[in-house]
Amino acid sequence: MSLRSRMATWWRAVFRANALDRQVSEELAFHIESYAEDLMRGGMAREEAMRRARAELGSAAAVRENARQAWGTRWWDDLRGDLRYAVRMLAQSPAFTAIAIGSLALGIGANTVIFTAAQHMLLDRLNVPHPEQLQLLWWTEPPDGVVESMWGYWDDSANGQTATSFSYPVYQQLRRDNRSLADIFAFKPMGLLTVTTNRQVYEAGSEMVSGNYYSTLGVKPQLGRGIEDSDDGPVGSGPVVVISDKLWTTRFGRSPDVIGRTILVNAIPMTIVGVNPPGFTGAYSAQGEPDLFFPFSMQPVVAPQDFGGADSGSILQDKTMWWVLLMGRVKPGVPAATAEAELNVALHAAVRATMPVKKDSQVPRLALRDGSRGQNPNADGFAKPMSVLMGLAGLVLLLACANLANLLLARGGARQREMSVRLALGAGRRRILRQMMTESLLLALLGGAAGLLLAFVVRNGVPRLLSSAWTPPAFSARLSWPILAFAAAASILTGVIFGLAPAWQATRVQVSSGLKDSGQTVTRRRRGLGGKAIVVFQVALSMLLVVVAGLFVQTLMKLGRAPLGFQSHNLLLFTIEPPGTVYPDTKSTPLLEELEARLAGVPGVQSVSLTQVPLISGNAQNHTFIAEGTQRNPDPSRNPSVLVNQVGHDFFSTFGIPILAGRGFDSGDTATSRKVAVINESTARKFFPNLDPVGRTFETGFHEPETIEIVGVCGDAKYYRVREAPEPTYYEPYWQTDHGIRQATFAVSTRVGGQALLPSLRVAVASVDRNLPVLDVRTQDEQIAENLQQPRIFANITGGFGLLALLLASIGIYGIMAYSVSRRTSEIGIRMALGAQPRRVLRMVLSEASWLVILGVAAGVAGALALGRLIGAMLYGLKAWDPATFAGAGALLMLVALGASWIPARRAAGVDPMKALRHE
Amino acid sequence: MKKDAAETAIDLLQGTLDMLVLKAVSLGPLHGYGVLLRIQQISQNRLEIQQGSLYPALYRLEHEGWIAGEWGQSENKRRARFYKLTAAGRRRLEAETKKWNQFADVVGTILSTRPEEA
Repeated sequence: MSLRSRMATWWRAVFRANALDRQVSEELAFHIESYAEDLMRGGMAREEAMRRARAELGSAAAVRENARQAWGTRWWDDLRGDLRYAVRMLAQSPAFTAIAIGSLALGIGANTVIFTAAQHMLLDRLNVPHPEQLQLLWWTEPPDGVVESMWGYWDDSANGQTATSFSYPVYQQLRRDNRSLADIFAFKPMGLLTVTTNRQVYEAGSEMVSGNYYSTLGVKPQLGRGIEDSDDGPVGSGPVVVISDKLWTTRFGRSPDVIGRTILVNAIPMTIVGVNPPGFTGAYSAQGEPDLFFPFSMQPVVAPQDFGGADSGSILQDKTMWWVLLMGRVKPGVPAATAEAELNVALHAAVRATMPVKKDSQVPRLALRDGSRGQNPNADGFAKPMSVLMGLAGLVLLLACANLANLLLARGGARQREMSVRLALGAGRRRILRQMMTESLLLALLGGAAGLLLAFVVRNGVPRLLSSAWTPPAFSARLSWPILAFAAAASILTGVIFGLAPAWQATRVQVSSGLKDSGQTVTRRRRGLGGKAIVVFQVALSMLLVVVAGLFVQTLMKLGRAPLGFQSHNLLLFTIEPPGTVYPDTKSTPLLEELEARLAGVPGVQSVSLTQVPLISGNAQNHTFIAEGTQRNPDPSRNPSVLVNQVGHDFFSTFGIPILAGRGFDSGDTATSRKVAVINESTARKFFPNLDPVGRTFETGFHEPETIEIVGVCGDAKYYRVREAPEPTYYEPYWQTDHGIRQATFAVSTRVGGQALLPSLRVAVASVDRNLPVLDVRTQDEQIAENLQQPRIFANITGGFGLLALLLASIGIYGIMAYSVSRRTSEIGIRMALGAQPRRVLRMVLSEASWLVILGVAAGVAGALALGRLIGAMLYGLKAWDPATFAGAGALLMLVALGASWIPARRAAGVDPMKALRHE
Repeated sequence: MKKDAAETAIDLLQGTLDMLVLKAVSLGPLHGYGVLLRIQQISQNRLEIQQGSLYPALYRLEHEGWIAGEWGQSENKRRARFYKLTAAGRRRLEAETKKWNQFADVVGTILSTRPEEA
């Protein structure tokens, strides 16, 4: 009841202040006149009556003031007054305001962008109901454990390996025996599959899921239904697929009759039964959005995989290959530890039931871990880099805050007279403190708003840095409530913490001395010390950021120039994945040979080759390598291994890798002839010291030995990362492999470079099989650039931070020197009147600035050395304490500082002694 | 012209002005000056009301929703703002009156206590 009337008066007092004022005035006027009339009726003269009526009512302003207090809107009036005053003050010195808001905007903007990226990469949860209930099943086993073959994520450490992959038979038994979780479902990201709809061929990401996946996750498709248990029966029983919202939009125009349509997945007809809700990323990660979800029952049909294990055939029956990911929801009332212990028992039983367990072999131990973010593959690689970046961004914000504090302090000094006047007129210290805080908070909030705007503009910068030229961004940054809250909190904290000291200082002026115009300005003041300490701090922070930037930029440059061992220019790459459904086993070999021949015939093409694993893609495979004359260890995991790649006919000439001894592959090496290989120099040195390896053999194969003859030795070339020195590697012809290859990346060497030839290459591929999509088109140089993604991100971001730091530091130095010079005008005037040369004055100011820089650089060096421990492992080709970088950064800062103090120094040198002294 | 204490104008106790205003407008809608006159009339000029504090009191009561103001015409045909008691104001007045009576009763009892005679 009264709340409504209160709101009504507040509303009027705040937004209808003028109308309300008029009402009060009118009411008071009526009162005065009525009273005066009554007095006149008693015989008083009109003038006297009016005077008395007015006097008894008191001042109208006081009544109004009391009325506003009664309405409880005094705080609002004060705030409005403070704000209006603050805005006026800020508008009066636009340079100060722009610098303060600008530096805060850069600091808060940088932090918001990094925080947004970090939030997405590390904290995003799966888009399903109650993700916090999800538990991902992990296991760990010692080095001699029973699991030997795995397809999926694993982490090796000294005491064994940790992984999330299970064999399908183990999953089935675990699910059956499970009493502790509310059902266990299985899934597996299956990568890109070839899809044909409306005669268009394209690739689409996929996830294979168990029949209880949708029901346990609690995800309801926006159209149609999810994958159900009835789809996941015997092999081939569920040719159905649920598509993503994205695919529905891009390929089907969001048409509702998409349900029931048949599409070709790897050339196998599948019926669309549902469309996922938008933003559903599957269970594997909270980023990306797989386009196709299909049941496990279709794996042998749609995506046959042959690992050549003991149970050759479907990996659904394979008892040795561990590859499916398992997840479950906690049951209410069952603690995680209990569930884990019970499931561990179930796992042991399942392993013993499905695999031969040797006497001394260890069975994996089960662990339940938070599954709310899925497997979250990003977290592993990005957690540390992200925290380093967030730390550096924090330093930039600190630097911006120091700038704000410095500017406010300097301004506080300049406004001493104003404060003295206000205090003399009776303003309370608390009132002045409040006014000052209003100003700094307003500045901080404006800076925060500008920072958010900046962050919004560049929000996709980090995701774009994280994606390569030929794949879509890993995620698109959304500005969400936590991020808005983060920016708001950062700006308010900044305003309060860094506004408090200057505000406090402002209230401590001595009224008597503050009002005197002259005095004290002749001598140096202690007050300058606070500002100088801040500048030293700023220089130290800048030194730190510039050194870090220097280290990362040089790392990137050194990586870019690092010798690869092969020539990477004018090489166009694209990937072909012959679907196993059309080209089973070695049927892919004639296809690839035909493709090689057709592509080589395209005009403008110099040479063509292919590799199973593209070079510098971050991937590699390795095989057992037992050199001729050494013994095979009965434990297969104890045998030495080297990297291996299956390559095409003209591999060595296309990539410019020299043959140092023997020969490359030639027409004599056929699918049926003796198996041959070319080893690289490192392999030759390691396994055949002081021997000529050509003509010798080695034995490979994890379980079943296979002998290969070495026909040549080639130069060392980097294989999977630019950062890693070439390792022992051998190359074998893809047409001699037992099971063919499922993926081939063609490398086409062209005279013209770039992608100019791409259309004719596509025609050539289509002329062989028009249902083969040309995937991931890029140049070899782009492939290398993608591999340098993380160092490039670091070089870009830290480089940006370094520039920002220099800018902020120069603003700080300029500000403090200009302030100091203006305070010391009379001192300088006296010096010059006494005969000091302008050059001497110039030097005096510059040397003062230099001292600040030297102190700051020294402190910064200490900080940078400490930080070096953290980032040492991320560098390449130089140490974290690289003396040249440190010296360069110090010199750069000194240069910037001298440049920034040059203008104030010139001003000091140009002081006219007569004017300066007369000013007193 | 000094008079006996009971005869002089009484300073208002803190917070009682609100109660008096509520009572005054409970008898019929009044403008601000009318409230002043009504209180003086009922109290037979024994209460001195600070005119300056009357209007803040009126605004406070309106803010709380106990009285409602409305523009109307005064006896001498001029525009004036009339206040009348709301339902909430009536409840408030009853509660305040009850409280005041209890308070006056207690204080009266205490003040009228005489020393016990031996």
